[in-house]
Amino acid sequence: MKVLSLGYILLNPIGGFVLELRSVYKHFSGIPAVDDVSFSARAGEVTGYLGPNGSGKSTTMKMITGLIEMTAGHILFQGKPIQDDLIAYKRRMGYVPEEPYLYNHLSGAEYLMMVAQLRDLPAKQSSERIDGLLRLLSLYDDRHASISGYSKGMRQKVLIAAALLHNPELVLLDEPFSGLDVGSALVLRSLIQELAARGKVVLFSSHELATVERVCSRVVILHKGKIVADDSIERLRSLMELPTLEAIFSQLAVEQDTKSMARQIADLIHA
Amino acid sequence: MRKLVEFLPLQVRILYRQFLLRVIDLEALSIQADIPRFLGQFASILIFISLVGAIGLLSSEAATATPETYLSFAWRGEQALIAGMMLVVGLIAVIRWDSTFPDRRDVMVLSPLPVAAHTILMAKVAASSALLGLAILTLNFATGLAWPLLIGSHHDSIWGFFQSFAAYWFTMIAASLFIYGSVLTVQGFTALLLPRRLFLRLSAILQIVAFALVLGVYFLQPSITAPAAMALPENQRGLAWLPSFWFFGLFNQLNGSLPVALGWLARRAWIGIGVVVFGATASLFLCYLRTMKKTVEEPDLVPGARGWHWTPRFGSALQTAIVLFSVRSLTRSRQHRVIFAFYLAGVLGFALSCLRDTPSTAAVSPLSTGFLVSTFMMMTLAVAGLRSVFSLPISLTANWVWRLTQLRPSEKYVDATRRSLLLLAVIPVWFISASLSLSFRPLHQVAAHLAVLAVVGWIFVELSLIGLYKVPFTCSYLPGKVHVQVMLWVFLFLLLILAMSTVEFELPSLNDPFRYICMIAILGAGALGVWTFNRHRAKSAVLYFEELPPDVITTLGLFAVRPSTTEIDMANPHQRSH
Repeated sequence: MKVLSLGYILLNPIGGFVLELRSVYKHFSGIPAVDDVSFSARAGEVTGYLGPNGSGKSTTMKMITGLIEMTAGHILFQGKPIQDDLIAYKRRMGYVPEEPYLYNHLSGAEYLMMVAQLRDLPAKQSSERIDGLLRLLSLYDDRHASISGYSKGMRQKVLIAAALLHNPELVLLDEPFSGLDVGSALVLRSLIQELAARGKVVLFSSHELATVERVCSRVVILHKGKIVADDSIERLRSLMELPTLEAIFSQLAVEQDTKSMARQIADLIHA
Repeated sequence: MRKLVEFLPLQVRILYRQFLLRVIDLEALSIQADIPRFLGQFASILIFISLVGAIGLLSSEAATATPETYLSFAWRGEQALIAGMMLVVGLIAVIRWDSTFPDRRDVMVLSPLPVAAHTILMAKVAASSALLGLAILTLNFATGLAWPLLIGSHHDSIWGFFQSFAAYWFTMIAASLFIYGSVLTVQGFTALLLPRRLFLRLSAILQIVAFALVLGVYFLQPSITAPAAMALPENQRGLAWLPSFWFFGLFNQLNGSLPVALGWLARRAWIGIGVVVFGATASLFLCYLRTMKKTVEEPDLVPGARGWHWTPRFGSALQTAIVLFSVRSLTRSRQHRVIFAFYLAGVLGFALSCLRDTPSTAAVSPLSTGFLVSTFMMMTLAVAGLRSVFSLPISLTANWVWRLTQLRPSEKYVDATRRSLLLLAVIPVWFISASLSLSFRPLHQVAAHLAVLAVVGWIFVELSLIGLYKVPFTCSYLPGKVHVQVMLWVFLFLLLILAMSTVEFELPSLNDPFRYICMIAILGAGALGVWTFNRHRAKSAVLYFEELPPDVITTLGLFAVRPSTTEIDMANPHQRSH
């Protein structure tokens, strides 16, 4: 029997899944993109992963998916390093990437069927799930149209369907609301909470702080590759004596005077 | 050419360069695809062909033989040169296909900018003309001088050379314009007459049909080398439909060597040029006036084909996914389709030459050497073409899905790629060969050859899988690989020679059971050996999605440049003390 890490047992005394990052570093040509990042995301809660552009959020997400290798550190799922059995780990993980990169020459249905086949799902179950997801996400009528003609929101829905098709235990969402209309965004918001309620680990990265505030139980805030906050939103509010997550975020991760910057841009194009 | 371009307005010049470089789609090929170098290689291949042709012409004894043999030589040469020119320009026209017309990407990118439609049209026409000019100039680089020299030497004065020279170049330019213009006219009017969605679907089919037509006409057209044969009514009916003979008539008319009875051929050429120039100009103008608006107005979402969507299975889920992805990428990506069509052109050429070899009577006719060589070459070209096109990615940014779903060992992916090669290259060629060989007798000989062909196809597939640890259409492509493509064609040429000598062994073996069994056993053992080797290697292989240049150790060359201390001491004994 394999011995699980002490951290895992302490973090997860009652069972369930846990994603854990320990002192993770990522350097690109010697320049740190992610610098000593440690946090954990537990089953049953939605963990928000926030940070300004270039703070290292998407890099962290890609390291968690195994798409890029970390320079140093450990990423553990259920107490085991993901690199020990990356294939088994990938079977349990669903990922919505930041950019809606898809094969444009395929139709939505063909793309989802390909993902199902690559994930080795039974054929009957795959087609039932694909049809169901396409109907629920309002893509059914355009399922045979080429993805090259899809709007940004439709592409995003295809990505969401592809990530959930195999009922993953760990759901990684990198800017999942990008391009979605109001109705679809509301559905997705409820869906994220529903997934967490059903015992999945949900790590959610977004710039939409109002949504994060409604959906997430905990947030991890990243600035210049380092973690500057990791706690529940409630505790952060009381600790920092600030009313909203936006105010907390501005204080921790925004350096510029936003109004003065806007004025400078307007002045520049006027000159 | 550069000086000519400088006369164009600045906007046209900027767009011209962009459109010229779009001979190959940069987005799909490589981030650093070196298109100017590719154009250089294309030009050098045509120059090489021209040089070989010119040397052949100049060393020909027929040029100095009797008037009868000279006429036969001259007519055969003229027909071959004009047909070759029309083939090359026809292939360029098919490859560039709709790039002279406005496409959605151009409209969406350029419409918000202050660029007029006629500026885009001018830039596109300039880019097409530049490419066409490059092809005409390079393909006739040496023959354009050698042929007028040969023909001109039969004139009475030095002006004869200049007349032949002018006639040659005018004919080549006119023949090229005719072919290119015909493609533009057909496409332009189809775009104007049909609803846009229907046109987009039909365009892909038209492109393949045009490809087959250009090659079919080239390979099947006769060579008529005597005035008497040309005057025969049954030949005249055929000649009336073969544009290369119209331009053959035009050349002789301009050269002053056309028999009066063949004046109608030259007349057809003049009418053809007139119709095509008018048709191409009108269709281009109308397209830019009408289609650009249509492109903007059409909805973003084009509905897919309705009805029954059958998804066949090709083995396991992974194998099915990879085979279907390969089929869809090949059939739906214009760029991949066109590159593969280049190889298919060779397959078609050999298939047509098989048809020529096929006996028309019911009498017993054994398999011929030409037929056997053609079937082997078809198989080689199909496998090599598919292997080459598999290496070109369709969308690098979308590859993350393969990495994320890589849940099985690499050997399973290699198995799936093998299945794709067998299904898309070996099986179709085998069936084509089988259907072409049905009229040969005895049938047991045909069956024996088809068995050999199947094993040879398997060997080619296994050979092409060596080191191929990637999913088809997903790995990035290095620009330097163009050299590999050139090497591939050299290899195919050598293979043709090898196939010819192998067939000399195969043909008697088909009638000798012992020899045949030995031959098939050796081939089978070879195929099994490479298959085992590939399976063994694939077990420990890692799939890759990015082609990286090999590591090169760069030395500073200090030891090579710096003289040794002994040398320093010898040259200047006091140097070390400074």
